Amino acid sequence: MPEPTSQRSPEGDEDLADRVHGARAALTALLAEAGIARQRRSEAADEGSGAVCAWNHFENIPTFYNWNNRPR
Amino acid sequence: MSRSPTYSGMRGIAEIPTYVVMQPTTLCNLDCSYCYLPLRARERAMPVAVATAVAEPVNRWAARGRFSVVWHGGEPLAAGRERLAALLAPFDDRVEHHVQTNATLIDDAWCEFFAAHRIRVSVSVDGPAAHNADRVTRGGRAAYGRIRRGVAALRRHGIGFSALCVVTRPRPGLAGELYDYFLELGCDVLALNIEEREGVNTRPNQHPGADVTAFWAELVAAWRRAPRLHVREIEWSLRYAAAVLDGTEDEVLPRRLDPIPTVAYDGSVVLLSPELAGFQDPRYGDFSSGNVLTTPLERILAAAAATPWIAEFLSGVEACRASCAYFGFCGGAHAANRYFEHGRFDATTTDHCRNSKIRLLEGVLQHARTYEPAVARG
Repeated sequence: MPEPTSQRSPEGDEDLADRVHGARAALTALLAEAGIARQRRSEAADEGSGAVCAWNHFENIPTFYNWNNRPR
Repeated sequence: MSRSPTYSGMRGIAEIPTYVVMQPTTLCNLDCSYCYLPLRARERAMPVAVATAVAEPVNRWAARGRFSVVWHGGEPLAAGRERLAALLAPFDDRVEHHVQTNATLIDDAWCEFFAAHRIRVSVSVDGPAAHNADRVTRGGRAAYGRIRRGVAALRRHGIGFSALCVVTRPRPGLAGELYDYFLELGCDVLALNIEEREGVNTRPNQHPGADVTAFWAELVAAWRRAPRLHVREIEWSLRYAAAVLDGTEDEVLPRRLDPIPTVAYDGSVVLLSPELAGFQDPRYGDFSSGNVLTTPLERILAAAAATPWIAEFLSGVEACRASCAYFGFCGGAHAANRYFEHGRFDATTTDHCRNSKIRLLEGVLQHARTYEPAVARG
């Protein structure tokens, strides 16, 4: 279990995680819509030739779009 | 008490990457104002021996799971089909190949080449013509018409593609226009890079925070109206938000940093930030960790932390972990941004962090706070 710290958000007075939790209802609706959108995109695409490498969109977005560093 | 955890990912560097970036030529046929690459006016071609040396470990890694080679540049298509085919030849069929291209050279013959070699294509284009003023030929003429002709060829051949868009001045009113444009362009995937100050591009990248946050919030709203595109920034933000809500946010980051070896035309290897390739610094040298023509890539990766700037960078990652509330989302400032903004690798927050990570997440939260679903509006 991660250990709590007192880090604060540079862009807000309230803790970042607290603000995410505070937006739970709205984010949950957004996440549900995103899930449906992903399913619709994957159904319409050819897994072998599409620009997205595979259709687990969180793990297998095109590798050169690696979030934690990437060429431009 | 704060709910923010101390994150356990991104400790040290993985010895096996998930992809390798290759520079088949330094040459680019365009001269974009914001480009970070040195040597792009000169043609220095990668010998096949470099590709052969890289393919040796890559073919073994690809046998264990998905593995990609990204042909970057310069403009990779400026290498020509014959040379690119020779560079592809040492790689096994199971290796995935990608190109990041300005699209201006794409024609029917290139589309047939992409199909024959199963190359995945990502196109650099910044939106409608008016937003592409920085993308010009070496003669200073607008490249936009040629970009669209290249995209038209991809569509004619049924080749799915990604789009990579540089945003020079993020501001309210722009994101919706851009999103609608990329819907019409026909890409499958969209990634947006706020222009960065790095490499030979020294233009400032400081923007009013409220403008940048509003830009990202507006992008989410535009995407939500027609979520047909996979938008990198939105997917990653939602992934993090979902993990926070589930209490699993410490599982989002990779356990170790991906070394992302960039293999330059001459076989020299720069790790972690491709943007450092081709530069020199009195303190850090040429940033390279070795050359595949003299040292196997696996041995270069195993000794990564011995490269002086990388040791300093790893200290910088720990400083980000200790000081930034967004570390679990971001994983630490990128090496090139630290260096080109602060002159060091152990500095922390960069303007790139602010524009592309912090304000992105804040934009998603701003959208969530203010969005009123159509059904609720009645």
